[in-house]
Amino acid sequence: MEPLLKLTNVTWRHKVRDFSSWKPWAKKDGAGIYHVDLEINPGTILGLVGPNGAGKTTLIRSICGLYACEGFNKSENYRRKFVGYMPEQVRWEGRLSVKDAISSIAEMRSSYVDVDKLIDTVGLSSRSDDILDNLSQGMRQRMSLACALMGSPEIIVMDEPLNGLDPLAQRAFTNLMRQLSSKGISIVISSHQVSDLEALADKIALLHHGQVLIDGTLEHIRSKLRLDSDSDIVEMICAVTGIQPDEISLDIARDSIIPLRKPGGEEE
Amino acid sequence: MSGANLGLLILKERISATRMMVIWPLLAIFILFSSWGLSDPKANLPADIVVDSAYDVMFTSTAFIIFSATLGAVLISFDGISRDRISGVLEVKLSQPMKRSTYARALVIGHWGAIFVPVTILNIMSLIVIWYRMGELPTIEEVFIHTLGTALLLLWYTTIQLLSSSLAKDMGSSIAIGIGAWMLFTLLWLIITTVVAGLSGIGVENLDSPEYVRIEGIMDLFSPNGVYHHLLEMPLDEIDRGISPIAIVASAIAWSLIPLQLFIMRIERLKP
Repeated sequence: MEPLLKLTNVTWRHKVRDFSSWKPWAKKDGAGIYHVDLEINPGTILGLVGPNGAGKTTLIRSICGLYACEGFNKSENYRRKFVGYMPEQVRWEGRLSVKDAISSIAEMRSSYVDVDKLIDTVGLSSRSDDILDNLSQGMRQRMSLACALMGSPEIIVMDEPLNGLDPLAQRAFTNLMRQLSSKGISIVISSHQVSDLEALADKIALLHHGQVLIDGTLEHIRSKLRLDSDSDIVEMICAVTGIQPDEISLDIARDSIIPLRKPGGEEE
Repeated sequence: MSGANLGLLILKERISATRMMVIWPLLAIFILFSSWGLSDPKANLPADIVVDSAYDVMFTSTAFIIFSATLGAVLISFDGISRDRISGVLEVKLSQPMKRSTYARALVIGHWGAIFVPVTILNIMSLIVIWYRMGELPTIEEVFIHTLGTALLLLWYTTIQLLSSSLAKDMGSSIAIGIGAWMLFTLLWLIITTVVAGLSGIGVENLDSPEYVRIEGIMDLFSPNGVYHHLLEMPLDEIDRGISPIAIVASAIAWSLIPLQLFIMRIERLKP
């Protein structure tokens, strides 16, 4: 199957303030993603799993065209047009109505967007005239979803969309994702819990320290790592890195577990 | 995908914001009351200021517009980018296919319009006040220069504030940068002018000396408030600070283009 989006050796490093320099504007390379190879196929759900700081959000932003990095088979403009993006926990606020807020985002797209239909799809039609300040977190997640669905996207990328949702809303979200996937739309969803994605994702990519440690179906990953069927993210990372679960402390992100690599491949 | 349409939606959002409940009365008190007071034939003004025509009233009341309208521009625009950045909405907006430069222009149109509309409404009302009190109106040319000058002044402040807001990563620094820039040009510029005059060997004991008036005129070209006053002085024959109209227009163009271009460049490189 021809992948909808192919990532080959995608690398991006954040620029952070260099306090070792006397220049206040001096920046140096910080954390990021390194040599990521992934394929996003039509109608599939890809789960990005990793602990905090693994690079899930950076990878997602790169896919959406928010970071200008190379290694994609589709241009940045194409990705901004055909990849719908739902960031993590957007706090929609202000005195604009739901409809006006979505209309102002729709105004940023080149094609016509049926705002009423979109509001109906995400179940906000009864709150269409409410001001943003009066929305609950669940409603705000729906607003973000409405923005991700604008312009008939081929891929929808969601950054930890299940966070802050009650179980019913989580089920509604997963049902909607399955519906979208059955229509041929690819979905990329990140989570720091394997259990969130277990029944949903067709493929999983395990990220840690900005690198994809392993990817494939959950069964494939577990059998390759010789893990039980109920193994979680910690056991997966331990199996790949060779450390024992008992040795894990709060410095899980330390460089000795998986060294940071420069874009060339050599260790820092 | 139109920047103007998005700008109108931003204008609508900003003009309906809660902070307008503070800005409207502030503008009304400064603009309308100054016109009422200055158009009083019995008014006894300090510093030998003579107000004997409708345009004189409009010109003198700009001291109050500079104070209130520019503060209004700061209050509307200081969190124009930083608020969306903190809430995460900026990520949604920047991931849309609209060109970043178009989005930047829409932001400027929306924020500028949200202060220009109330100021213009109040300026029109102040014309009625002047006509009621003095029985005369300024010429169309004078009204045009006053409106254009005010529009440009508000544009400059809006762009500077949006640029500051795009640099700030939290609300506190956004407010600090915004108020700091406003204070620099509104309150501190006189001190900077005096220091420059002193360093240039010009006596600052007499602020009416021709040398000081000239250096003040030159320094004003580097301040939005100063350029605003230069523009409004152009129809007044009795005021000549020795600055050529070409320099004033060039400075106005520079103030209109440079901060705007810097803001567009900043938005094009902005990471959420």
